[in-house]
Amino acid sequence: MTDPGHDELDSEGEPDESLRSMLKGALREDLPAPNVLAGVQRKIRERSRGKFYADGWSTAKSPLNTYLITSLLMLAVLAVSYALLSPLVGSPEPVRNQPAPVQLIPR
Amino acid sequence: MAERRGSVADARAHPVYLRSGVSEAEDQTERKFIERLAQRDERAFNELVELYEARVFRLLLRMLGRRDEAEDMAQEVFVQIFKAIGTFRGDSKLSTWIYRVSVNLCKNRMKYLSRRHTDGEDELEPVAERSALDEAKGVTFGDIAQPDRLVEGYQLERALQICIAELDPDFREVLILRDLEDLTYEELSEITGLPQGTVKSRLHRARSMLKLSVERRMGEKIP
Repeated sequence: MTDPGHDELDSEGEPDESLRSMLKGALREDLPAPNVLAGVQRKIRERSRGKFYADGWSTAKSPLNTYLITSLLMLAVLAVSYALLSPLVGSPEPVRNQPAPVQLIPR
Repeated sequence: MAERRGSVADARAHPVYLRSGVSEAEDQTERKFIERLAQRDERAFNELVELYEARVFRLLLRMLGRRDEAEDMAQEVFVQIFKAIGTFRGDSKLSTWIYRVSVNLCKNRMKYLSRRHTDGEDELEPVAERSALDEAKGVTFGDIAQPDRLVEGYQLERALQICIAELDPDFREVLILRDLEDLTYEELSEITGLPQGTVKSRLHRARSMLKLSVERRMGEKIP
């Protein structure tokens, strides 16, 4: 089917409502669109040779999980460090030794 | 998606309109958004993809008739937009420009696929359960619980997909953009690069051809 040169006519293109309604009723649904963002970021990263979307923080839909995991990891590291080092923490033991008697050397 | 300052979605609440369909706030916000995109702001681009991916994918799926092709092409559209955003001068709305990029890439892809003879009707995918031909208007999922009507709805959808796929790409694009995406003649004119009169004429012919084709295939007259 090709256009046989009728294009330039200034027709009103009057709305064929029955056909339009049928098209809308039958085809116009809110189709579940795929998430194309990750694919787009990957392609841009590859084609720009890592100039864009290279750091991993700007990629993916939301870095929330990354932030969360990093925070939990840091908390775990701090907890382990505290557990290991806490026995070493305390007030200093008082020195119980009496000072040695001073012996005066006679002249 | 949460609305943010400087995003396109941010401007939707402002009712002051300057010219056809574009409010002052929307215009300014879009300009700022485009500036961020032109500076290759990755977060702005993420926002753009999230904002338009459904519309672009839906258009491409209608044009190509195949989900895998449409998904791949949608990614390609956004990559091309990322590359070419610096050339966007703001003469039209950003959405119109995105549609134009989508349609042009899609038509190139269709030419490539037609050379490979892979865009046959067997590869067209059903989208969802549909209604019968004479009752397609306004029918919702809840209305079509009966199996015979589901079959009829499926047949109608198949017939429509096949008939749309048989249309010349130039006719297909105006039909989809106007009747399914609800774009204005002005926007259609900007996307296709044709005068509005030509667009109207082409749309009229596309509808006529599709109507004849569906009637022939279904053996039923469209009221």
